[in-house]
Amino acid sequence: MDLIRTLFSRINGLFARPGRDAELDEELRAHIELATEENLRKGMSAEAARTQALRSFGGVTQTRERYREQRGLPRIEEMLSDVRIALRQLRRSPGYALTAIFTLALGIGAVTAMFSVINTVLLKPFAFRDQNRLVVMREVEIRDPGGRVETPDNYRHILRIKNTTKTLEDTAIFQGRALSVSPDGDRPDFVGGLSVSPNFFHLLGVQPMLGRDFLDSEARTGADHVLILSYEGWQRFFQGDPNVIGKPLRISSEPFTVIGVLAPGVRFPQIALSPAISFEERARETLMYLPLAPGALDLSSDTGNFNYKSIARLKPGVTLAQANAELEGLQNAYTLSAHLPIHFGMALTPLAKDVTAKISGALWMLFAAVGSVLLIACVNLANLQLARAASAERETAVRAALGASRARLFSSRLTESLVLASMGGAAGAAVAIVGVRLLIALAPQNIPRLDEVHVSLPVLAFAAALSIASALIFGTLPALRSLRVPPQSAMQSNPTRVANTRDGRRTRNLLVAGQVACTLVLLVVTGLVLRSFSRLLRQDLGFDSSHVTVAQVDLFSPQYSDANSTRSVEAVKLAFADRVLTALRQLPGVQSATITSAAPLTGETWVDSLQRPDHPVPPADQLPINVRWIDQEYLRTMQIPLLAGRNFTADDRANPMVALISERTARDGFAGENPIGKELGNLVPDAPTGARVIGVVADTRINGLRDQAAMVYIPYWAFTPWTLSFLVRSSQPSKALIPEMRRVIWTTDAKVAIPSLKSIDDQASESVAAERFQAIVLACFGAVALLLASLGVYGVLAYSVSTRRQEFGIRIALGSGKSALVQLVLLQAAVPVLIGTGAGLLMTVVVLRWMRSLLYQTPVADPVAIVGSVALLLAAAAAAAIIPARGAAGVDPMRALRIE
Amino acid sequence: MGDQKSDVLQGTLDLMVLKTLESMGPLHGYGIARRIEQVSSNTLSMNQGTIYPALLRLEQRGWIKGEWGTSESNRRARFYSLSRVGRKKIQDETENWKRIAGTMARFLAESN
Repeated sequence: MDLIRTLFSRINGLFARPGRDAELDEELRAHIELATEENLRKGMSAEAARTQALRSFGGVTQTRERYREQRGLPRIEEMLSDVRIALRQLRRSPGYALTAIFTLALGIGAVTAMFSVINTVLLKPFAFRDQNRLVVMREVEIRDPGGRVETPDNYRHILRIKNTTKTLEDTAIFQGRALSVSPDGDRPDFVGGLSVSPNFFHLLGVQPMLGRDFLDSEARTGADHVLILSYEGWQRFFQGDPNVIGKPLRISSEPFTVIGVLAPGVRFPQIALSPAISFEERARETLMYLPLAPGALDLSSDTGNFNYKSIARLKPGVTLAQANAELEGLQNAYTLSAHLPIHFGMALTPLAKDVTAKISGALWMLFAAVGSVLLIACVNLANLQLARAASAERETAVRAALGASRARLFSSRLTESLVLASMGGAAGAAVAIVGVRLLIALAPQNIPRLDEVHVSLPVLAFAAALSIASALIFGTLPALRSLRVPPQSAMQSNPTRVANTRDGRRTRNLLVAGQVACTLVLLVVTGLVLRSFSRLLRQDLGFDSSHVTVAQVDLFSPQYSDANSTRSVEAVKLAFADRVLTALRQLPGVQSATITSAAPLTGETWVDSLQRPDHPVPPADQLPINVRWIDQEYLRTMQIPLLAGRNFTADDRANPMVALISERTARDGFAGENPIGKELGNLVPDAPTGARVIGVVADTRINGLRDQAAMVYIPYWAFTPWTLSFLVRSSQPSKALIPEMRRVIWTTDAKVAIPSLKSIDDQASESVAAERFQAIVLACFGAVALLLASLGVYGVLAYSVSTRRQEFGIRIALGSGKSALVQLVLLQAAVPVLIGTGAGLLMTVVVLRWMRSLLYQTPVADPVAIVGSVALLLAAAAAAAIIPARGAAGVDPMRALRIE
Repeated sequence: MGDQKSDVLQGTLDLMVLKTLESMGPLHGYGIARRIEQVSSNTLSMNQGTIYPALLRLEQRGWIKGEWGTSESNRRARFYSLSRVGRKKIQDETENWKRIAGTMARFLAESN
């Protein structure tokens, strides 16, 4: 009790200091005066009375000091006084303090912001039970030659494995869905969803927050329409209504009943169908889950309908390798026993790894970049501190001679660093908060879980740890140095000479060299990524993207459903497309309008294989192709040249089984033959005959800037898919055209969803968002690193010149030319810079080894990037060195000598 | 310095202060110091200033309270008085001190 009370009182005493000091003084004064009065009454003279009073009191100062010790916490007061001294000293040299804080804030802030992103995207676990046991299953096609190719899953194969495996606890099959959702069915919202087998949530270890999970009986064709909402979906469509269970929601105009709501934070990540099919999910967020009812073909086909993804949970204690081996064996055995034409295997990937597979390399590279920026920053600070400690050596020596303990001296130097670090850390946290916002704004939308990124507590802790660590790094080094100096030597000699001892200079040069090396690596990496990005942007698309606006339309309402009679649905879809095209062509300013089945630059879709009735090859050897359903205006609208044969014409409508193929399809599928007139089998659904090739068109980068897929174009008259894109080339700006196009589509049918409506240029820019993000962020880091390195070179040199003014004065007085002096200083700068450059080049060789996969058509030994980086670095270093060098040459010998 | 004077033992001062306040009621620092000097008949070698850290220590423990008041000669001074806890503590401290004194007395008697 007493102890606690005393402690509180002491802590209180720590803060209420000035007022309490005054009180004590008054109390002591009263004491002396009372004593004096009594002495006067005893008959002493005024003088004697006061002297006697003071004598019997003892030392007033000692009393006050002991009182203070009793009142507060002396150790902490000592620290506070160190802090006050440090603040005063930093205020006295604002240039140094601001540079240091700026450097730290930049380093810590950038690292924290980047780490926040990495923490959420790569490190933070999902809200699933034992997520380490969750794996993504993909079937593997074993080709000879060609090796193992991961493909999407066949329902029947996964079902077989689910029923026979001994290493998996459970397996769930699912499929991404693009849903048209609206309360009344009209003008629906386009929303991302998943069809999942009913055990999906059970497998993940997730319980709905409201309502219940799916029943097995609900995953059958003809079962009641039910759905489970994600927390976000619940908020968006029902504003968080707690009585939502049992309420209807219209998906594709059909009523579905809400049976459950997931807790906030339960989000299933985007899983790619397969690594090869880079089809981007069009909706980022999964807002609702429907039961997956397999169709008849799903349950019977072994060689088609590879349309599914699956996730499994390993049994406890089973390793990934064991499960992989078992499933590979099961697939191999089934391939043989069922006499399948394709040889199947299986590949399991841990869930977390699969989700981040595409971006983890890039993110870690950015993190490494930002880490080296922090390293450079710390080296800069260490150097600043070294120079500072050197000039403080005399003061330290005086304090030591006056009896200050080594610990006290050490702690006061350390305090200055800690004060700087905490100010830098606070500024860094502010930079981090802004930085995370900036990163989110800059980042491409397809980075998983980006919406969950925020500066979180562990991240802030990370920043705090970093700032304290860097304080120790750059605080202790100079502090230890200053203690090594024997007081008498420091006091005897001229302080500026001591500061510039050979020993100190070597340390500082080493630090500059390290900084230069790190900067060079970062510059080369940045240079390579920029080269790669510009190469990507300068790709010839093969089509003219300007002035073209694209509207994606999904025909998911019941009148387009093939549940009823197939023929009539075909006619309805065709009629819709015809009416929209006619209306679009009548809009003012429209030069041409056309239709295609996939919006340009949104990845591969409708991947099929080239089958030639005249030249059959095993399925594994068939050329993978992308099919697009277009009309005769497509080539004109996209400005794709026709290389051979003829385009579609209106006359083909009567007999629509015709096809255009791209150059690459002609080259790879018809090597050495004339493809015109050849037949392509099994491309048009439900068609009795194949499509005849009537022309060859130029290759395009229609799916993305990176690759030219082999294409086959067929008129939409032969088959109209459920996802359409209308392309309009117009003299009108896209902004004016977009509302017009939306009006035309919804006037034709208000029940279709319009997932996206934008210019192809915008689409192109979005398709390289990831690369742009990387390039911009890296370029920023590169610039910061270069700035810091220049500051480092400048700082060290400027300091060295300032301490050698007398030497330069003597040299000038002895007749040394100014250019010789400039040369002398530049040479001094050149040594660490050149050593650093050499070391940096060596480091680059190591780093570049794992850069290769991150670059597009750019060799890692790209001479432009490497030579350019070296040149830029040397130029910056020279610019930083020339200022102090000129300063050296400008020394006035008379003044410099007079100081001596 | 008088040869016959003893130094104040650590801890004894606290008890002297408490006892003084118990018998005299609220008193300022100078009064307490004078009272201790009188009671000890000037056999203690004590600077009056020593009283102040002791007063602070007792105040921090909550055994006494200090309040500003006016002295007999109309001077502003800080008056100390026993708190309820302090009153109880005097009993404990007195017994404690007697025990130590008794022990010391026995020791001194034996070694003689």
